[in-house]
Amino acid sequence: MSIAELVAEASLEHVGYSSDECLKCNVCNTVCPVARVTDLFPGPKYVGPQAARFRSGRTSPVQVKDWPILASPDVTVDYCSGCGWCTTACPAGVKIAEMNSQSRARLRAGHRPKLRDWGLGQTDLTGRMGVLFSPIGNFALSNRLVRWGMETFFGIHRKAPFPKFSRRTFQSTWKRRQKRRGLPLAPRRLAAAPAALPAALPGPDKAVVYFHGCAVNYYEPHVANAAIAVLERNGFAVIVPPQVCCGLPLISNGLYADARGKAHENLEVLADYARRGYKIVGTSTSCTHTIKAEYREMLDLHDDDSTVVANATWDICEFLLDLHEQGRLNTDFGRLDEDLPYHAPCQLRSHGIGLPAMDLFALVPGLRARDMDHDCCGIAGTYGMKKEKYDIGMAVGGPLFAKVKASGAAEAACDSETCRWQIEKASGVRTKHPVEILQAAYLAGDKARHQEAAGVGSN
Amino acid sequence: MSSADVVVVGAGLSGLSAAIAAAQSGARVQVLAKGHAGTHWGTGGLDVAALPGSATPREALGRLAAMPGHPYGLLAQDVQGSIEWLGAILAGRGLAYEGGLDSPLARVPTSIGGTRLAAILPAAQAPAARPWDAGETLVVCGVAGFKDFWPDAIAASLARPRFWGDRPGPESVLAVSAELPGMTERHNLNALALARRFDDPAWREEAIRAISAAVDATLRRAAHAGTVRVALPAVIGLDDHAAAFAQLSDRLVGQPFEMPLVPPSVPGVRLYRALRGALLEAGGRVLIGEVISRVERDGNRVTAVATSAASREYRVRTDSVVLATGGIAGGGLVADMEGQFEEAVLGLPVEAPPREEWLSADPFEPEGHPLESAGIRTDGDLRPIDTAGAPILENVRVVGASLAGQRPLRQGCKAGVSVASGQRAGRALGALSAGWAAGAGAVQTAGPNLVETGSVRP
Repeated sequence: MSIAELVAEASLEHVGYSSDECLKCNVCNTVCPVARVTDLFPGPKYVGPQAARFRSGRTSPVQVKDWPILASPDVTVDYCSGCGWCTTACPAGVKIAEMNSQSRARLRAGHRPKLRDWGLGQTDLTGRMGVLFSPIGNFALSNRLVRWGMETFFGIHRKAPFPKFSRRTFQSTWKRRQKRRGLPLAPRRLAAAPAALPAALPGPDKAVVYFHGCAVNYYEPHVANAAIAVLERNGFAVIVPPQVCCGLPLISNGLYADARGKAHENLEVLADYARRGYKIVGTSTSCTHTIKAEYREMLDLHDDDSTVVANATWDICEFLLDLHEQGRLNTDFGRLDEDLPYHAPCQLRSHGIGLPAMDLFALVPGLRARDMDHDCCGIAGTYGMKKEKYDIGMAVGGPLFAKVKASGAAEAACDSETCRWQIEKASGVRTKHPVEILQAAYLAGDKARHQEAAGVGSN
Repeated sequence: MSSADVVVVGAGLSGLSAAIAAAQSGARVQVLAKGHAGTHWGTGGLDVAALPGSATPREALGRLAAMPGHPYGLLAQDVQGSIEWLGAILAGRGLAYEGGLDSPLARVPTSIGGTRLAAILPAAQAPAARPWDAGETLVVCGVAGFKDFWPDAIAASLARPRFWGDRPGPESVLAVSAELPGMTERHNLNALALARRFDDPAWREEAIRAISAAVDATLRRAAHAGTVRVALPAVIGLDDHAAAFAQLSDRLVGQPFEMPLVPPSVPGVRLYRALRGALLEAGGRVLIGEVISRVERDGNRVTAVATSAASREYRVRTDSVVLATGGIAGGGLVADMEGQFEEAVLGLPVEAPPREEWLSADPFEPEGHPLESAGIRTDGDLRPIDTAGAPILENVRVVGASLAGQRPLRQGCKAGVSVASGQRAGRALGALSAGWAAGAGAVQTAGPNLVETGSVRP
């Protein structure tokens, strides 16, 4: 391998090598939302590329069995929220946020994780338990004494935004629905030969695989309902194969080994579908980004499965806007005469796909969507829920909450679930997923056409 | 997966100028940038032209325009108008600038204890450019614990007359450090963190009191009488800068001014934010973290650009492209191991000295480093041209530091070239897209020099 090839490979594949590109220009420090509000975090440059020189063996994967445990010298890296603004703004292509996440995982390696951090990573477990005992769970989460206990004993801030648990999981609802319609459930493994596709399973030109994520499964089934309705209206049947948490909450809490377990479970199922040409569409912009980028970059899963699945995965707004670009999006939107403040979440920015929700909103007559143009809402997944970081998160998102409130709008929109919960809690304005807005626009269109047909229309 | 009338690649001074000009003419504009750079690294000043021996930027501009191949050969007549246009935009967003093409080129002290020639400066830096009275004292006031500004070193250096060239400097230079509330124990005190503190009116009040007391004590010790100017690190507020600086000016015994620092440059961040705000207001969009990975062409036109997003590209169909990717430092021009230059986004040919001329005995040659002049050659419409002078791409405009023939470090022409070329490109492309919108698909021509052939908007 020539030196040039080595350099090229290093800059593409390895987060750690990218610190060699750092100019020490401080641009990352100027965009860091956390360093903006607190002295506890010195800024991404200091804990990232600057500290990298003290981390020997920096290119080796993190928390992989038989690899040595390498310490990170700077504990303040734990105050990084993982929003990714530093990586975005770096003019030299240094993967600063990724480096910081790996450093945090190195800090955790070899130690038993804090119960709180472990628990916040187990979204499947807490979700399943919460749904199973949802009346009790919802009572508990809205009970001050319980929240005081959670803060005192577990370190989860008493005011941290938690949505209500659903009465049942989206997966079980979906299974019932498929049964009711007499449709098969998507299999875990598609048989080897294409001819053996289950007869009732529509082909990749007529169906997409839906990656629902934990939020939809345990808390927000209405987002899935809207997404499925929008997809079906555009001629796509929805396939929901067995799936688990994408692993991002584990990655953010430094539990890489557990995250790899989740990733493998998902990849095993999704790769089969991706190889058949199915697109994997998700409503959680952080889940889709994890599958697209972090399985490979953070978890070092560089196999064929991770690549084929990453290439097949789409954020739902990205997917719908692509349909529109091909002239295939159903644009029978009715009028939505309203102001709609919109927050582009950090994870969406990490996708690098522009602002697809804003482009879609522009197709809805009457809808006055406005990008709030704020860096981060402060929640950053589970960061802003933690006792010692709650105030930081609220300060980071403060100007956003004020803007949303000042807009006087009845509802706001945001692609990422924890951001929606944070904005809704802090601003008091109901915050929805963009597909919910699009579905409302379709329904408004139906209604208008219906009225017209019935002769009730104004003309 | 998106579309625009004008895609601007790069979010520095030239790119944002082009984007604002285009958006103001009604075009749908997307700025795609790899990251922040130019503005965040610079002084925040608008350097038009600065040559030793020239009294004003206009005089230096005339000399540069007469140099064969200098971008000012094409742009000179636009410079004044474009700088005034930009100044009005910035003033409208609360960031006032002072000086113009006919202001004297003054020796402005720098935060490493030298001086540089400048004339058009943010209002907070402008007092440094006024001539020094006989007997006037300069107090360099630092912040205790802040490592990017060393008042003693700066004062010792500025006390030497040779740094002031042929112009008189201050009679005496004093140094002092002020202890600002809560700042002395911080480990990583940086310019931006300080600037944000100055946005807080309560903290600012205390800080200004401390600065004022420190300056007074120093003057008393030196038994000074006469007028005073106070140099401070450029950290006096970020969002509330104008109010913070006004309050400071009211309270200090002498006229304060800011000295720009090593990056992150607070005056540069203010400049970037003001321009970005103006662009958003005009309906434009800025996307940072977008690296162009592929360009689609139809004949000699660019029809779409794509960036390498997570696992797939982000494709933007466009009627035109402004290339504002900067020079060698900005990453717009890249060289391979053999010394061949290429333009990074469109693969345009680069005019550059041969490799054997890259190394010179004196790194600080009076004429500037030979490589500084590397860049892309264009016609008067700023379209890239080949060696025969024919446009390579009809709907591409090259602006800013990517333009061949300038030596921005030595000639102090960076902002002038950026703003003049940015405005010209943005206006022309904006007018073109407005023409398209009005003509609904008809082939349009806009302006005498701007003929777009066979271009029908989809």
